[in-house]
Order: sequence, then C-alpha cells, then structure tokens
Amino acid sequence: MVRNWIEYRTDAWVQWCPGCGNYGILTAIYKAFAELDLDPKETVVVSGIGCSSRIPYYINVSGVHTLHGRPIPVATGIKLANPRLNVVVHSGDGDLLGIGMAHFVALGRRNVDLTVILHDNAVYGLTKGQAGPTLPAWLRTKALRAPNYQDAVEPVLIALASGYTFIARSYAYHAEKLKEIIKEAIEHKGSSLVQVLQPCPTYNNIMTPKWYEERIYYINEKYPEYDPIVKVPGERDKKIAEILDKFYKDSDKIPLGILLKDISKDTFEDRIEKIIPGYLKNPPGLRYTDLDGKSLIRPKDVFKDRIVKA
Amino acid sequence: MNGNRVDLGLIIGGPQGGGIESAGQITVRTLMSKGYDVYGTREYHSNITGAHSYFNLRARSDIARSVKLPVDFLIALDAESVFTHINDVKKKGFFVYDSGTSSTKIDKIAPMPKPLKVRVKEKLSKLGLGDTVADAVRYIENKDVKVVGVPIRELLKETAKRSGLSVVSVARVANTIGLAAAFALIGIEREHIEKAITLYFAGKEKAIKPNIVAVETTYDYIKDNFKLGNPLPNGPYQGKLRMVINGNDVVAMGKIAGGLTLQTYYPITPAADEALYLESYRTVEPTDEAKEKLGLDKVGTLVIQTEDEISAIGMAIGAALAGARVATTTSGPGFSLMNEMVSMAVIMEVPLVVTIWQRAGPSTGMATRNGQQDLLISLFSGHGDTPKIVLSSGDHVEAFYDSIRALNWAEKFQTPVIHLVDKMLSGSLKSIDPPDPTKIKIERGKFLREVDGKYNRFTITEDGISPRAPLGVAKQMISSLVHNEYGMVTEDPLLRNQMTEKMLKKIESIEKEISESERYSVYGDPDSDILLISWGTNKGPILDAIEKLAGDGIKVKFFQIRTFKPFPAKALTEAMDSSKVIIGVESNILEQMRMITRMNILRDIPHMIVKYTGRTMYEQEIYFGVKEILEKGSRKVVVSDGA
Ligand SMILES: Cc1ncc(C[n+]2csc(CCOP(=O)(O)OP(=O)(O)O)c2C)c(N)n1
Ligand code: SF4
Ligand SMILES: [Mg+2]
Repeated sequence: MVRNWIEYRTDAWVQWCPGCGNYGILTAIYKAFAELDLDPKETVVVSGIGCSSRIPYYINVSGVHTLHGRPIPVATGIKLANPRLNVVVHSGDGDLLGIGMAHFVALGRRNVDLTVILHDNAVYGLTKGQAGPTLPAWLRTKALRAPNYQDAVEPVLIALASGYTFIARSYAYHAEKLKEIIKEAIEHKGSSLVQVLQPCPTYNNIMTPKWYEERIYYINEKYPEYDPIVKVPGERDKKIAEILDKFYKDSDKIPLGILLKDISKDTFEDRIEKIIPGYLKNPPGLRYTDLDGKSLIRPKDVFKDRIVKA
Repeated sequence: MNGNRVDLGLIIGGPQGGGIESAGQITVRTLMSKGYDVYGTREYHSNITGAHSYFNLRARSDIARSVKLPVDFLIALDAESVFTHINDVKKKGFFVYDSGTSSTKIDKIAPMPKPLKVRVKEKLSKLGLGDTVADAVRYIENKDVKVVGVPIRELLKETAKRSGLSVVSVARVANTIGLAAAFALIGIEREHIEKAITLYFAGKEKAIKPNIVAVETTYDYIKDNFKLGNPLPNGPYQGKLRMVINGNDVVAMGKIAGGLTLQTYYPITPAADEALYLESYRTVEPTDEAKEKLGLDKVGTLVIQTEDEISAIGMAIGAALAGARVATTTSGPGFSLMNEMVSMAVIMEVPLVVTIWQRAGPSTGMATRNGQQDLLISLFSGHGDTPKIVLSSGDHVEAFYDSIRALNWAEKFQTPVIHLVDKMLSGSLKSIDPPDPTKIKIERGKFLREVDGKYNRFTITEDGISPRAPLGVAKQMISSLVHNEYGMVTEDPLLRNQMTEKMLKKIESIEKEISESERYSVYGDPDSDILLISWGTNKGPILDAIEKLAGDGIKVKFFQIRTFKPFPAKALTEAMDSSKVIIGVESNILEQMRMITRMNILRDIPHMIVKYTGRTMYEQEIYFGVKEILEKGSRKVVVSDGA
C-alpha cells in the first residue's frame, strides 16, 4: 500500500443520514482506491443525482456530478476521450435502473473499461422515499401511500443479458468484502457492475440490515467450486445458465460475490483501435487539433471523393 | 439565357431508391464539366423506396445559389413525375418522359399522394382531358412546352445490343437514357455526360461502359428523330479543380478541418449523413507540415453512435471534460431530448457544439422536409439562466467556415454553441472551390495542457472565463449543482450570486469579442430604403430575387442575420431605422426571427414573406412576394411553390 486511505478523504461534510449504507460504500472506496494506489489526478468519479450520487464530493480524486440518470454517458465520454483515466460511476437504483436504464444496457453492449457501483436501497432516497425500481412488488415502505404495485427489475440479470463482463453483488455493511470486490472490478478490463445492497434506515424500513442478513450468503462459501470466469466467448451462455440454475432457484436467498468475470471480450477501446489505428496512442482528449492554429488537413487533398476537375 | 450568360433550371424526377440519387449526381458533374456553377435541391419523402423524389438543379455561368420554378427542362423518369410536375416547365422548355408510360392512369400510381391526384385530375378535366400520362402530355403541350417521349425500353434494348450485354444487366442505365435525351436536346455535348459518368462511377468500372453506351445510343436516337440542340456556350469554370458537396458533407469537412476530435450522434434525418461522412473520414492524412512538426502520421476522429440523443450530448460533454474538441449533431426531435444536458453544459462550462439540422415540425412533422422552426428552442434551450451562442449558416461555403467558428467559440467561451443549419442545406448539392481552412485560425481559448499545484476549474476572472485544464491534467470537481471556484457544491446565497455573475461576465465577453461584423452580412443596394431581413438558406433565393428585382428597377438591401446570440443589434437597428419598407423572410409560421428581433431591439418587422410547406424557398416567391408587399402593403405573404 503506497497511499494511506485517509488521503482520499475530503473536508466536505458528509451529509448522509446516520446509519446510511452509503457510509460503508464510501469507506470501501477509500480503501480500495488506496490499495490500488490510484492517482487522484488520473481517477474520476462520476455520479448521477440522488443521495448516493453526492459521493464525488467526499472522495479526493476528480469528480463529476452530472444529472439524474446520466452518469454513464458522461463517464463513457471521459473514458473514450482519455482511456488512460480510471473512471468509476456511482449511481442509485433510480438513477441507474429507472431514468438511466437505456444507458445501463448500452454500456454492457460496449464493454467500455468502466466500473459502475450501484447503491441499491430500493427507494428514491433524495426525493423522500418513493419506490425504486428494485423494490419488490407489494412491499409498502414507510413513505409509500399504497403498496408498491410495480414489479422489481433484477440488475444482475440485465447486466448478464446486456454484456457486462464483470458482475458482482455485495453488501454495504460488509465493507472489507465490498472493498475486495470493488478492487477486482476496477482492475477488470471492461464494463463492471457492482450492485451494493444498501440499507436506507430513513425510508426503507422493510429491507433493513436484519432483513438483508437473513437472506444473504456468499457464493464462494456456499459453492466453493463455482468459477465465475469466462475465458472464451462460447462459454458465456453456459455460465449464465449455471448462474440461473445455482443462484436463482431459491428466491428467498440473495447470493453475494463475483457472479461473472468474462475475459473473453475486447474492450470498446480495443475495438476502436481496430477501426481507428493509433486511437490509443492519440485519443481524442489528448491529440493535437491544430498546428499553431493552422488546420492539420487540406480539404482538397483529403476529401477526394468530392473532387471534380471540371 | 441572354448573350453568353447561361442560366438553366432543370428537374429530374423519379421513384425514391430508383437511382435518382445517381442521376442527380451525374447531372451535376455534367454541368460542371461544361464549366457552369451548379446548385441543386433534393426533395424526397420519408420513405426508402417507391415514393416520388426529385432534384431541382440550376446551372449558371456566374453563380448558382437557388433553384427556380418553372424550369427550362424536366426529365420525368416515371409516370408519377409527369403528373406531379405538370406545371413545372416554362414555355418553350423541354419535358422529357418515358413514352412507354403513356397509357398509365393516375389512379394506378399507388405511392402518389391522394390530394395531389385530386388536384391534377381537376386540372386535366378542366381541359376535357382524361387521366393517363398521354392526357398529361397533351396538357403540358398546351402550355407551349416541347414534350419529348423517349422510348426507354427500346433504347435499353439497343444499348444491350451495342454493349454485348443482356437487357436485364443494362436495366440500371434507364435513368442515364433520360438524362442523355434531355442534354442532347438542350445542347450539352456528349463528352460532358461521359466525363461525369466516368467521374461518378470511378472505382466501379463495370458500371461505366453500359452507361457510356447508353449515352451514345440516346444521342443517336435524338439526332435521328428530333434534332440535337445547338451547343450552349461553355462556362468559365472549365478545367478548374472544384468540389461538389452537399451541406452534410461540408459541415463534416469543416469539423475535421477545424480540429474536431470526437463527435457523437443518434441517427436522425437530416443529420445522420453528416456523421456518416465524418465517420468515413475517421482517419485522414495530415499535411506534410503537420506530419513533420507534430509527428502525426494520421489524424483520427472518433464518431460514436449512441443509444439516444441524451447519451449523445452526455458523451460529448464527458469527452470535452477530458480535453476532446467535440460536437454532436441532431435535428429538432433529438435536440428536444438534449435540453437538460444543454443546461448542464452551461453550468459545467463545457465547450460543446450542437449542430441542428432543422426539419419541418412540430413533433416528427415531415422528417425529410425543410423548415426554420428551431430558432426559439435553440435560443431558449435548457432550463435556468443558460447563455449560449447561436449561429446560422446561409449556404454551403458559410457552413464550412461556421463549423470551424463554432468549435472555436465553444472552446473560447466554454459554453454550448448551437449551429443552425437545415434540411435544405443538408441535401442540396453545390459546386464550390475547395475551401481553405487556413482562413480561420483554430483557437482553443484558455485550454491548459499542464497545471502546477492546486487547481480551481471555476476561478473567477475579469472576463468570466476560467483557465480550463481537462480531467487527467489536474484534479478537479465538476458539478451540475451550484458550486464554488473549485467546483464544490454550495448553497450559499452570496457565493451563488458570485458564480452566477461570473456567467453574466461571460455573456458580456461574448458580446465584446464576437464583433458586430461577424454577426451579419449585408447584400444588395446599400442605399436602398427597401430592406429584406432573413437568415439561413433563404439567402440564395433572396440574392437571386433581388438581382431580378434590380432588373425591374427595384433596388433592395438584404440583411442576413448570421448569429442570433450575440445578436447584431446595432447594425440591424441602423438598417431598420434607415429603411422605409421592411420585409422579413423565413420558413416558419410563428415568425420566430421577427419575435427575436422585437425582443432584442424593440423593433417590429412589419411585413413578412413566410413559407411552411416544408419545401425550399424559391427565387420567384420572394420576387413576387416583395412586389405584392410594395404594391398592396400586405402584412404577410404566404408562399407555397414546389412539389
Ligand atoms: C430529470 C430529473 N427528474 C427527477 C429528479 C428528481 N430526483 C432527484 S434524486 C431522484 C431519485 C434518486 O433515487 P436513486 O437514484 O435511487 O438515489 P438515492 O437517493 O436513493 O441514492 C429523483 C427522482 C431529477 N433530479 N432530475
Ligand atoms: S435517505 Fe436513505 S439513502 Fe438517503 S442519506 Fe438518508 S439513509 Fe441514506
Ligand atoms: Mg435509491
């Protein structure tokens, strides 16, 4: 460990409610960043809008606090303009799976080398407790006027179907285990999803720590033989079948740990290099745009298909 | 045509997807080979194949910049084109059609819109005519137009025979036969169309031969059965190296020349072709000087097709934050989706160009038709107080240089720049001299490649613009929330005021640094007290109309608004205050330019010529519109020419 995790703290007042699961995630991030020795200048945390999305102010690296649902497009733009940066997205369940779902799916298709950390409290914290997209049907959490009559989405299954190459689930109060998973997610080359089950003591009075702790188990403890790695493209479907078979049979239990690590696919950046040779050496954020104010090209020498010698 | 001055207008009509695009491209090159300047618009339905589509082209020995109606000659490649353009050729002009379609009845043409069928049938029955192509031909002949029926099927057979190929394999040259017949009649020598074919099909050698044989066969047929036209005088551009581009191409070229490094888009008409042209030039050869001095062997531009327009603008913003020179391209519906992000780009002070290819709205409206209806949304896009720059291009050449200016202004003022172009420009073809990007210096404003020590992205400065280091160069905080100079969120009322006033200073800098002369152009007679005010692609038809009006002794001055933000307040006030008759021209029903003029300089434009059919503005519409206003003092003239 080169940097002390204390160095990643900022002097901003952390404004989450007492006992909020976000604290556990923040601690895990400090320690993961420290253990990976991430350079604050070359690391960017991008978030949407929500309680969880305040996190960039609390981490002493570069931060971009965007719009509700939109951290993924902005993070993708940053990463593609300068692939040398470490880019981590923090997003709430409403942010990522409600208003921002199209981007969540699109990221999986691209496999950009980004890590997405989903702060899943199953409610809309910042707007005072409405039902989030992961709230199971017919639960009636504190702020709801009627039981939730919409079904929940399952982010892990969507991530599997969309092409994410690293998919894991963890629990906010197990900061040490969460840290290890976050480290592995950041080190993975490709789009990673870490769904963090995050108790919201203020609005989610049903999915409490007790509720979670009765249901969660760690894959590597219950199924030590399970190997999440996909090495060749054809194996992915078989792995998904195995995941469904092993971890989705018992709907009362919630498996934690790394569900899938697919190392068979190219990252988006590598794919771009194939169609724009030299992209990685001179990416859009770093390359020259001009020579002392002069254009780098002459239209008549470049756009030959439009030339007519009259 | 008088003396040696050539001014030819022609229409080529046929089914969408039936080679009409190639026919237009070959025609433009033929006329360029003859030495003329060429401009041509393209009208088409929101349809992939079958619906009526046409080019209206104009060739002039001086400068072509608008199309006219009626035209001098017309080539109807199918029956629908005969009916659709029944009134579009002037007296003594040529109307060339496929004589094989003579017995086709109008009601048998499935793609033809019903209201148009009703209108045409009414016209025919008024003269006691029936409803076949042969009847339409009689109607056209009645108007003193020379109608020439070309037996395309027979000529195809002859072409097959002469080239030693099967009739099926030469079927694709049917359009070329139509074109060749028209050119033979009006006096364009065979060599020009042959050269155009060779140029257009370069790289597809197999296509060249049957087309050339078809030309030869058709010229022989015209010579034997009618009479080859007397050769027209050549134009002054013969032997010159020129380009033929459409608006989509030229904006993409301007962006590449202007140092764009990343563009995003979600497919939409008429913007997508710009992104596609860009993408086909994603790696290009730099100048020798750039190669040598910068060690660059290729210049790469990343074009990303996103999942929607929100992502398109979001990715562009992210890329700009990491140092890329960016743009995104869209049309009205896409821009509606982008609004929240425009506001975010303002508070994050992101340099970003949004190119808007306006089309006819509201809503999905008419996706492939023209309109100037997105001025208000451009100026007022984004919630909150959101200053931005809005410029509009009047023609292809302006669009090239404006694309570079837009990128410069975005980086200089660190705020969104909206570049308004339209469907008319996107699809219209124009011959131009190769543009020279060195005429405009590429500027990146206060862009930093290195930073020492602690960095505040939003430092308060005299001019409201802070030194901008990208992510990766300096640790920084970028927030869509109100923030302090570092970027840290704040709700302190006084700090909020300071940061908001920083934005106001930026607006003042924009007003100061973009000089009045960059905001407008004035054409025509500077001493005239008749003033036309307009924007965008109405420029060409207006310039041609004022030339025509001058011929009648009516002198007109034309004020073209080139930037709406900053507004050319001083110059327009002076122009309006020194004019007696003031006429606005625009393609929307709310008279948006008139509203904005009133808002900016408290002056009303009392007379308007407006068009909202979704079609291009024509020279004669403005010519007659001005005359009507001068004679009758009409408040508003609504024009609606064009199929
Ligand atoms: C376009 C838009 N719509 C609505 C909102 C209001 N809003 C702010 S946060 C939020 C929901 C937050 O829920 P979630 O993403 O789950 O984050 P949490 O607060 O639970 O961490 C909403 C709807 C907004 N900021 N922007
Ligand atoms: S409302 Fe819930 S999620 Fe938001 S800060 Fe409070 S406890 Fe945390
Ligand atoms: Mg939530």
